Amino acid sequence: MGITIEINDLSKNFGKKQALKHVDLKISQGMFGLLGPNGAGKTTLMKVLTTLTKKSGGEVKICGILVEQCNKIRQMVGYLPQDFSMYGNMGAYEALDYLAVLSGMKKKERRERVPKMLEKVNLEDQHRTKVKAMSGGMRRRLGIAQAIIHDPRILVVDEPTAGLDPEERVRFRNLLCEIAKDRIVILSTHIVGDIEATCENIAVLNQGEIMFRGTVSNLLEAVRGKVFTLEVSAMELPMIRDQFLVTGILTNGSMANVKIIAEHSPLKEAKPCSPDVEDAYMYLMHHAPVWNGN
Amino acid sequence: MFGTLFLKECKQIAKSMVYYIYVVVFVLFLTSQFSSGLTDYMQEPKPGKEHYGSVTSHEPSAVIEKTLAELVLEASDNSFSTYPLGFYKGVTLNEQEEQQVKFIVEQCTGKSWDQTVQEMERHFSSYERDTMQGALQAQTSYSVVPKEDLSYEEFCGFMEKVCAIVGPGSSYRKESLEAGVSVPMTYEQAKEEFEDLCSKDQITGAAARLFCDYAGIILAVLPIFLGVTRCLRDKRAQVSQVVYAHKASALHLIGSRYFANVFMAFFPVTLTAFVIQMPYQYHAKTIGVAPDILAFLKYSLVWLLPEIMAVLAVSFLITEFTENVISIFIQVFWALGSLFSTVTLRGDFGLKLTARWNLWGGANEFWLQRKELFLNRGFYFGLALTALAMTVVIYEKKRREGETLYGKVFKRRR
Amino acid sequence: MEKYLSVGGRFLCRQYAPHLLLVLLFCLMSGFFVSFRNLNASQAAKVMEMYLAFTGILLMTPLFMPEQDREIWLLERSKAMPLWQLYLVRVLEALVFLAVVVAIFVFLMKKGGSVFPVGKLWLGAFAEILFLGSIGFFVSGITNQAVLGYMVSVLYFVANIGASKYLGKFALFQMMKGDYGFAPAMSAAALAFLGGGILIRERRQA
Repeated sequence: MGITIEINDLSKNFGKKQALKHVDLKISQGMFGLLGPNGAGKTTLMKVLTTLTKKSGGEVKICGILVEQCNKIRQMVGYLPQDFSMYGNMGAYEALDYLAVLSGMKKKERRERVPKMLEKVNLEDQHRTKVKAMSGGMRRRLGIAQAIIHDPRILVVDEPTAGLDPEERVRFRNLLCEIAKDRIVILSTHIVGDIEATCENIAVLNQGEIMFRGTVSNLLEAVRGKVFTLEVSAMELPMIRDQFLVTGILTNGSMANVKIIAEHSPLKEAKPCSPDVEDAYMYLMHHAPVWNGN
Repeated sequence: MFGTLFLKECKQIAKSMVYYIYVVVFVLFLTSQFSSGLTDYMQEPKPGKEHYGSVTSHEPSAVIEKTLAELVLEASDNSFSTYPLGFYKGVTLNEQEEQQVKFIVEQCTGKSWDQTVQEMERHFSSYERDTMQGALQAQTSYSVVPKEDLSYEEFCGFMEKVCAIVGPGSSYRKESLEAGVSVPMTYEQAKEEFEDLCSKDQITGAAARLFCDYAGIILAVLPIFLGVTRCLRDKRAQVSQVVYAHKASALHLIGSRYFANVFMAFFPVTLTAFVIQMPYQYHAKTIGVAPDILAFLKYSLVWLLPEIMAVLAVSFLITEFTENVISIFIQVFWALGSLFSTVTLRGDFGLKLTARWNLWGGANEFWLQRKELFLNRGFYFGLALTALAMTVVIYEKKRREGETLYGKVFKRRR
Repeated sequence: MEKYLSVGGRFLCRQYAPHLLLVLLFCLMSGFFVSFRNLNASQAAKVMEMYLAFTGILLMTPLFMPEQDREIWLLERSKAMPLWQLYLVRVLEALVFLAVVVAIFVFLMKKGGSVFPVGKLWLGAFAEILFLGSIGFFVSGITNQAVLGYMVSVLYFVANIGASKYLGKFALFQMMKGDYGFAPAMSAAALAFLGGGILIRERRQA
């Protein structure tokens, strides 16, 4: 059995509110990006995958095992929650060791793995630093170390780069790519740049529904020929904003260079340009119906 | 996994401020109650002394005399102690009710109320009541003689009337009369008592009992804070989600936390008990009795461990369920209620959380009531395990559904 | 003035309400445990000192609870209104509730035909209950842990059951013995705890 996640007709209700509506997804080895605005249901989906929330309907299998079998699933899955934290008075080593115990690792294994993991996330020099004294980035790195210490086949990371500085963000993304060599890494984010840099396969979630699933190039394909740039005077900006979907504005004195998305070339002076993932995402959110890129 | 988690939990507890307060308060409370010089009570009684302490009697004449004495005392102060729901409630009568009670006393004694009061005042003025001992002696030796032809049945009838006036749970209810009364001890009884102290208690047993009596009071309250702190720690440090996602089962997680707390709470108790026992061990040797060296351990295991376990388990249960500090109020209320509801300070264990035996010795009496204590402690042991099991279930439920039932209500409010 | 009313009201509805509910429940249950009828001065004092005293702990200890979360504390610190003013508003609210609760108990006892010095008992009970509560306030303030506040104040109460003789002017349960001389000392101590709690808390956390 290969490393796969199969999600069929998954629903989750919180009272009357439907957080996930009939979600179908198949995920195989490598980095998988889950994109969507805040409140789209990304975190709920991840919690179902990590056994932290019961689903209301449908079927979820991880490597062929139903998600209801919590014990087996928890052994296979590593999870880094959105706001990872640990007991403040524990040092990095201590905290990691504690969580390794919770993963059921034996003493000998832990002695070997804990320093290795700290090294992997560049915390070996800070192994005594208390959690409460750590910066956001350090804490996040400790979080990733605890999520992979038991060598899970699936790693689920929720908004891992929010609040990191650019350098740390790049390092973190590279770390994730490295980890994804021999397992599934599901990366949820609303930061399009993260997806662009790391994921080949993605899904876009909005209001509990899958808006798109496929590869990044599929997504870009959909918006090809629909992105234009044009130079307008600053006075005209409000009007442009009213009429078109604007994805970028660069002001230059009294003039402004705007990037817009439209089905057809809107004005004579508009020049077509090559789209990026952000444009595609914006297009998807505002124009397209539920749409399958495959 | 359990052993490792247990050790890690112990280490965490040892680093917490609450635990230090726990240890300091416990040790201070116990040492302040055990001053030296208590070994004086453990000398062989000499004949010809006026007082030898008190003993419980079920003799109808004694019951009538002592119960009437209590009625006179309470009626003259117009302050009646009652325990309607197991908690203390002071009752004060209005003038008409007061007259009715006084009339009942007159019917029982065959004397006027004023005459009875005068006799009472005369009795108490003959004692030095400034000292604790004097006051106690005055209390134990005071009794009211009934009129000659008062039968026990008649007397019970009168007491029923008193109960109707004073309200439920007074000292005049049937159960209370049946429990017997405290009467002064004679020399022969005192000598027998001392022999029991040497043979059954081997001296240290009596000391351990008194230790458990005091320790039981404070241990009804102290462990609450350990439990609440542990359960709220995950919320405070925001680690619940991370912990939930790991393989460790709820039984392992909650079990290791719980037993680590039980162990850390019980450890200073045995240590203090051991240290406090030492002078008595020495004293036993000097009067030629072989002391029971393990008395402190036996008594604290049976008497205090179930109490610690129950208090901790209930605080775990309530705190895991509600995720706030409400268990402190509920349990302090429970502890104080149990403490204030004790009618007698020796035995009458029932199902009270704090088992009292505020008495040096009383070996024979204790041996008779031992079974009741075992039942009581067995109940709390069972309660602890039940509460622990329920905590595990609730924890697992929270883990699977993301929040508790209570949490859902509460979160919506915010 | 309006801003103080606003922050006070917000605290009342959002954070203080459950605690007030608990106080209400505690007072409603009093009928099962204490009597209000035909009490003399010492018995009336007992109701105040042994029962009602807990409302002090209930009312005063949780006043710092919202700021136990460091993020909230940092956010509030960045605003124009100094935090001590915010705390002071809450303390005043708690004081008002305490005064009312004590007054209600005095009224109930009076109505039950009890005989005692009304003003003196109200003042004494207020001072004593406030003192006990201010211990919880102080400890929870400087340690940033409400549980510790509850712990120390409850243990102070329990300690007084056995060892009040060692505590001089700060011993509880004195009104029951007819002694009201503790009130000025306790009031002063309570004020010191309230002020000190706020001051030390802000120093330490900064």
